[in-house]
Amino acid sequence: MGSLLIARAAQAAAVLCIVVLLAFAGIHLVPGDALLAAIGETGYEADSRSLEAVRQAYGMHGPVTTQFWHWLSHFVQGDWGRSIGTGQRVTEMFQQRLPVTLELFAGATFWAFGIGVPVGTISALRQGSRLDRLLSAAAMVGVSVPTFWAGILMIYVFAVWLQWLPPSGYTPFGTDPSLNLQSMLMPTFILGIHSAGLLARYVRSSLLDNMRQDYVRTARSKGLSEREVIARHAIKPSLLPIVTVVGLSWGHMLAGAFFVEVIFALPGLGRMGLEAVFAKDFPVIQALLVVVSLNVLVMNFLVDAAYALLDPRVRLVA
Amino acid sequence: MQTDRRAAALMIGASAALALAPWPRQSSAAAPVPLASEPWAVSHHKERPVRGGILRVAAPLYIGSMNPNRWPVHDWFTMGLIHDRLFLNDGSYLPSAHWLAESMVQETATAVLLTLRPGVRFHDGSPMTAVGVKRQIDWIRDPDSGTWSAFMLRPLESVEAIGPLQLRFTFKEPWASFAGVMASVPGFVLPEAALGSDNDRFNAHPIGSGPYIVEEANPGNFLKLKRNPDWWLAKAVGRPDMPYFDGVHIAVIPDPGVRLANFRAGKLDVMQLAKSQYPLMMGDRRANVYVEPLPITTMLRFNSARGACADIRVRKAIGHAIDRKALLASTQHGLGRIASGLFPGDHWAHDPALAPMRYDPALARELLAQAGHGNGLTITGYMHNSPPSQTLAGAIRAMLRNVGVTWQVDLLAPTAMSARYEQGGFDLAYNPSSWIYDPDIQATGGYQPGGIGARFRTLDPDLVAMIDAARTEMRFAQRQALYHAIEGKIVEDHLNVYLWWEESATAMQKYVRGFDPAMEIAHGEAWTYSHSLWFEHGRPGKPG
Repeated sequence: MGSLLIARAAQAAAVLCIVVLLAFAGIHLVPGDALLAAIGETGYEADSRSLEAVRQAYGMHGPVTTQFWHWLSHFVQGDWGRSIGTGQRVTEMFQQRLPVTLELFAGATFWAFGIGVPVGTISALRQGSRLDRLLSAAAMVGVSVPTFWAGILMIYVFAVWLQWLPPSGYTPFGTDPSLNLQSMLMPTFILGIHSAGLLARYVRSSLLDNMRQDYVRTARSKGLSEREVIARHAIKPSLLPIVTVVGLSWGHMLAGAFFVEVIFALPGLGRMGLEAVFAKDFPVIQALLVVVSLNVLVMNFLVDAAYALLDPRVRLVA
Repeated sequence: MQTDRRAAALMIGASAALALAPWPRQSSAAAPVPLASEPWAVSHHKERPVRGGILRVAAPLYIGSMNPNRWPVHDWFTMGLIHDRLFLNDGSYLPSAHWLAESMVQETATAVLLTLRPGVRFHDGSPMTAVGVKRQIDWIRDPDSGTWSAFMLRPLESVEAIGPLQLRFTFKEPWASFAGVMASVPGFVLPEAALGSDNDRFNAHPIGSGPYIVEEANPGNFLKLKRNPDWWLAKAVGRPDMPYFDGVHIAVIPDPGVRLANFRAGKLDVMQLAKSQYPLMMGDRRANVYVEPLPITTMLRFNSARGACADIRVRKAIGHAIDRKALLASTQHGLGRIASGLFPGDHWAHDPALAPMRYDPALARELLAQAGHGNGLTITGYMHNSPPSQTLAGAIRAMLRNVGVTWQVDLLAPTAMSARYEQGGFDLAYNPSSWIYDPDIQATGGYQPGGIGARFRTLDPDLVAMIDAARTEMRFAQRQALYHAIEGKIVEDHLNVYLWWEESATAMQKYVRGFDPAMEIAHGEAWTYSHSLWFEHGRPGKPG
C-alpha cells in the first residue's frame, strides 16, 4: 500500500508542475495588457512612465520567462505577489477568503450527506414505490437545477418575501454566530443540493446492487432480520462509492462556489477567482490555480488512500 | 451624507475617475468668499434634518487602495467620504467650488498662489498645513513613489510652501487645467502617513479629513465608516450636525439583482439601479427613483487611418444608418440622452448648437453608393463582451445590415480589446467610456499625435493646433469657445459615432431625506458633498 501511495503522490506532484507551467503560459498567451486595460478603464490615459512604475510594483516587467522566474521564486518563499484588481497581497487575500470558502464547503457537505444518503437509502429500500419515484425525481432536480437560478429564487422567497433570512453577505462566526448561520444557510444549501442529488443516485444504485449480491442472500438465509441484513451487510459496502462521489463533488463545489459566492456576496475564493479572471489578474489567477489544483490532487490522493484502506481488493491489485 | 444619485452613480462607476477640470471662472478672486454664502452651499431644506442612524449602501467592488494615488481604486464615492479635495466640480463640471483651498490667485501666467482653509484637521487630529500639501505633491511626482497619478502633474515645475497655509505653484507653461487637477486625484489632501512606501499599513488605518472616519475595513466584504464629529465643513457652513448619519456601511454585493433584493428587503437604503432594473422600479411607490445625467458619452470609434472607414462618406453613412432613439429605447431602457458631440450636453465645453445626427437609411445607402459600396460592404470591429454590450452590438449590426453593411463584430474582454486596439484590428469599434470633466483629457488623449486614444485616427492639423491653444488658454470664455470649435471639428470629421450621453437611476427608500434633484443637477458634486442626507426619524425605517 505504501508504494501505491508514493506512486500516487509522485503523479500528483508531476501534474501540479504541469498545471503551473500551463497556467502561466495560458495566461500570458491571452492577448492584452491587464494593467493597461485596467488603468485605461479609469478614463485616464496614463503615460508610459506612470504605467511602468505600476508595472514594476507588480513584478510585471521584462520578458515572460523573467516574469515566470520572478513569480516562481517568490511564490515558493511565500510571497505570492500583489493583486492587480485589489492591490492587496495575494497571501493576505487567501488568508481572508479561505475560511469563508471552507465554511461554505463544510456546510454544503453537511447538506449533501444529510440529504443525499437518507434519500438514496430510502429510495433503494422502497424501490419502485411512489416514494422512490418522488425521491428520484427530487434527486434529478437537485442535480440539474442551475445554481444561479436557484440562488436568486431562494433570495426572493426567503429574504424578500418571507424576510426570514438575510439576502446576502457574510458575518464571521466569531463576530455573530447566529447571523453567520443565517447568512450561510441558503448558500450552503444551494451548493450542497447538487452533491446531495448526485449522492442519492449513487447510494440508491449501489445499495440496490449490493442487495442482489450473494452475501446478502446468505445473510438472509442465515435467518437475520431484514433490518440486520441491510444495516450490517448491504449499507456498509454501498457507502464505498460515496468516497468517489465526495472526491468528484469537491471539484464541482469549487466550480459552484464561483457562482454561489457572487450571488450571495460571500467574500470567498470563488468570487475572488471570478473577479480575477475578468480582470486578467495574473497573480491571483496563478495562485488560485496552484491552490485549487493542489486541493483537487490532495482530494484524489485521499480518495485513493481511502479506497485502499476500505477495499482489500485495491491493495491486492496494487 | 453625500449618498445621492450622483454619489451612488460614482460608486457604481467605480472605474470612472474624478477627472481633470478647467480653470474656475472666479480664478483671480483674491478675497475668499464665505462658504455659507456660496450658491452651492446654501441649504434650501424645508424639513429639519435629523441626526442618527447608519446609512446602508452597496458597491459592486471593494474600494481597493485608500490612497487615491495608489493603484487600484474602485470606489471614488467612498474615497470622497474619507478624504476631501482642494476643489470640487459644479453642475457644468467646472472646478469652481473652493473646498480645502480657500482662495486661489493667478500671480503670473505660470504661477498660482493657493491659500488653504484654516482649522482643517485630519481624523487623527493633526492639522492640514502648506508644508504637508507640498510634501504630498512632491511625493506624487517622485518616480520612486510608484503613484499612477504622477502624469497629471507633468506641467508643474515646482511647489513651495510660503506660509503656514500658503503655497505657490509654478508651471512650465500656462496651465489651464490646474484647478481641475486639484479637483481630481492629486487634489485629495492626504496626511503624512499616506506618503510612505507601505500602502498596506495606510489601507488598514486610513486617515483623511472628510466627513467619515474608517471604523472597520474588511476587503472584499464591507467597509464601515463612522461620523467625523469635527468635520471642518459642517462648522464652516453653519450646519454643525453634518454629516447627519452616525455612519455609513458599504457592503460589497457584485450582482445587481442581489443588490435590488437587498433594497427590497430593506437591507439597503440607497442603491444605484442597473439599466434593466429602471423600468421595474420607476413606477414603484415604495421608493423614490431619481434619474440624473452623467458626464459620459457612449460612442463607437472609427479606424479612419486605413480600410473602408478611411473614406469620410462611409463614416457619415454609418452615422446616418444608426437609429439612436430606437437603441436608447430598446437597449438602454430609455436611460440616456441622444448625443450630438463628444462632450455631454450639460458640460461647459459642449457646443449647444450641435445637433444629433439624423437617422436616414436612404441617405446612408446613397453615401455608400457614392463611395463605391453600392453592392454592400463588410467591416470588422469589436465590442465589450458584457451582456448589455452584446445586445447593443446585435442591434447596431442589424441596423447596418439594413443599409448593406456587414459588421463582423467580435465580443471581447477588456484586455483583448486593448490588444485589438493596439494592432488597429478594427474598422468600427467600442470606445471605452470615461467620465468627462476636463475636456483636455479627451482632446489631448484622443485627438493629438501621441495620445493613447489617437491611434488610427486621421488628425487634421487645425484640430491639433486648436487643442494646443485650448490647453494654455487661461481666459475662460476664450477657452470655452475653443472647445466648442474643437468639438465641432471632431463631429464634422466623423471620427466617431455618438450614441448617447449616459444617465443613471438611483433608488432611495422613502425615509431617506434631504435629496434635491434640481440642486444636484445645478451645482453638481459641490452641492452633493455640502448637503448631507438624513433619515426621517434618525434611523432606517421600514421599506415603503
